[in-house]
Amino acid sequence: MKLFDVKLLTVTCEILAQKNIIEILNKHGITGYTLYEVDGNGSKGVRGQGFKNEKNVKIEIISTEARLKDIVEEITRSLFSDFAIIVYISDVQVLRPEKFI
Amino acid sequence: MDVLGVIQANILTPVVLFFILGIVAARIKSDLKIPNAISEFLPIYLLAAIGLHGGLEMRNAGFSDMLIPMLTAIGLSLMFTLNHYQILRRLGKFNIFDSYALASTYGAVGAVTFSVGSSFLKNQGVESEGYLAAILAVLEPVSFILAIFLTNMAVSKQIKSKKQSISVDTLDNNEKTSIEQNKSNLSKVLYESITGKAIVILLGGIVIGYFIGDKGFDSISIVFDELFTGAVAIFLLEMGIIAGKRLDDIKKVGLFLVTFSILLPTFNGIIGVLVATALGLSLGGAVMFGLLMASASFIAAPAVLRHAIPQAKPSLYITSALGITFPYNIIILLPIMFTISSMLHDLEAPISLFNYLSINL
Repeated sequence: MKLFDVKLLTVTCEILAQKNIIEILNKHGITGYTLYEVDGNGSKGVRGQGFKNEKNVKIEIISTEARLKDIVEEITRSLFSDFAIIVYISDVQVLRPEKFI
Repeated sequence: MDVLGVIQANILTPVVLFFILGIVAARIKSDLKIPNAISEFLPIYLLAAIGLHGGLEMRNAGFSDMLIPMLTAIGLSLMFTLNHYQILRRLGKFNIFDSYALASTYGAVGAVTFSVGSSFLKNQGVESEGYLAAILAVLEPVSFILAIFLTNMAVSKQIKSKKQSISVDTLDNNEKTSIEQNKSNLSKVLYESITGKAIVILLGGIVIGYFIGDKGFDSISIVFDELFTGAVAIFLLEMGIIAGKRLDDIKKVGLFLVTFSILLPTFNGIIGVLVATALGLSLGGAVMFGLLMASASFIAAPAVLRHAIPQAKPSLYITSALGITFPYNIIILLPIMFTISSMLHDLEAPISLFNYLSINL
């Protein structure tokens, strides 16, 4: 079985930034992602209790390194100052690379 | 009727007691919690019930006399928003973004507060005009739109003056895109707040209530009428828990904002009651009108403002609206406004309104 190296971008952010993130993804031609609501704790205090608006979401995107770097750059530039966001890229291996390019 | 007596009686109603229970539970770090699905469902239910009632009463009473109170409410709401901004910016020394966000939070209406008001009046056996539900729906986006518009103006002005001082052509593109972005931002916010779930269910309820009439309502009254106060009580338990968790944050918002969040609603609310009485609204209607003016938004506000004015700190406007103003409104201000409204409505002739006031003050 042959595995191909691609990158995984994980974005954890407040739920109200979700729309902005998805917009950026669409702008960069990303159509596939996985999204789930999460709780957590961080510099902005315990998140995910109380109103739904105060929850966090985690968004995962698999693509090529070049494209993900562009996305990270745009997220950093446009959202970091105003929203609670954690972003990281990791190595993953997939079976069908054509799905993620 | 003395104010303290009414406040005391109000504290001992199930709705307020459940709210206090919620605060206590949060303070003693109990794991008491309303399941997510239910706490998301309850505001929808409450708005549907308010809308249905409004629609029913509008069918019975007609809504030709709705226009003037509605326009007055919009005018007052806009005026209050501007007034808040000046106070926050000049006296409170908040930055532009926080000032506008807070100003619109307090200029906007709170649907939860409105529900509590409805159940308060129900408890007192007092009716209110059905079209107030329609005013609630119309007022929801008004103050946000004004604040967002003014923020965008201020921001593009800043960008322009920056450009002039640097006078570099490369800034030109940036400036244009940012102004265009602001414009699209505003129309997007407009669209989103009008199609938001609160307004859709509220207006939908009004239309359905209007069409089904009393006869159609009989078949669903067990859900939308008899359960109403109970549902408000459960929802307030949840609100109490959330507010209780935020009590520690009150220290962070500062003394100025705490004072602001008590004095401004009092002022706005009492003006609301006086104006509504002068416009000829009933005893209960004037109380609800005052409550619309006094209430601050804490469910709709973060969703709108986080996108429209992301630079503003949400901890400021949520904590002050939910942690201070909401409890104050439902426990103390509501009975005060009720007392004022009853005093005003004891007088037959509205002309003597001001005489009466001057004697009593």
